[in-house]
Amino acid sequence: MGCDVVTVSTDTHFVHLAWKKAEKELAAVKYPMASDPTGNVSRLFGVYDETQGLALRGTFVINPEGVLLNAEVNFYNMGRNIDELMRKFKANVYLGKKTNEVCPSKWRDEGDKTLVNPGAKMVGKVHEALGQ
Amino acid sequence: MAETHCACLRLGEKVPEFQLTTYDPVKDDFGTFSLAEQIAKKRWTILFFYPADFTFV
Repeated sequence: MGCDVVTVSTDTHFVHLAWKKAEKELAAVKYPMASDPTGNVSRLFGVYDETQGLALRGTFVINPEGVLLNAEVNFYNMGRNIDELMRKFKANVYLGKKTNEVCPSKWRDEGDKTLVNPGAKMVGKVHEALGQ
Repeated sequence: MAETHCACLRLGEKVPEFQLTTYDPVKDDFGTFSLAEQIAKKRWTILFFYPADFTFV
């Protein structure tokens, strides 16, 4: 799919290794587990909690040109929805190819309804454009 | 309350180069992640931050 997932925490790479080998939930993990002990990269993305020395649950999608396209940050006590992350990623790839279209909230995959050339004619007519 | 400082990264803007030391489970070895390398290889990147190992993600 041309995409690399990289996880990041302030733990060292030694701890990542130990966790990966100890936790059976991680048996299938194939992605690199990155280490940000200084918090500098976490700060760059605005997820570093200075009071705890930890990174909040931030998810960021960066395109092949290095441009940031999505950002989502959850507090400590809430996990993320991988289906929504995949939806966003697929939409980004699709929109990279179809620059005159936009993906509405219900868009899930290629073939789903998009809005083409949203402009003056669509103002007040989004319902009709979506065929609802 | 979490005290975070925004480094003013904005959607639609280029992320400055950064590198991180990694543990790569496939190679079972340490390595380096570099955004510049991703751009050179024309790869998408999903960065997934979480608070700590040995907790839920």
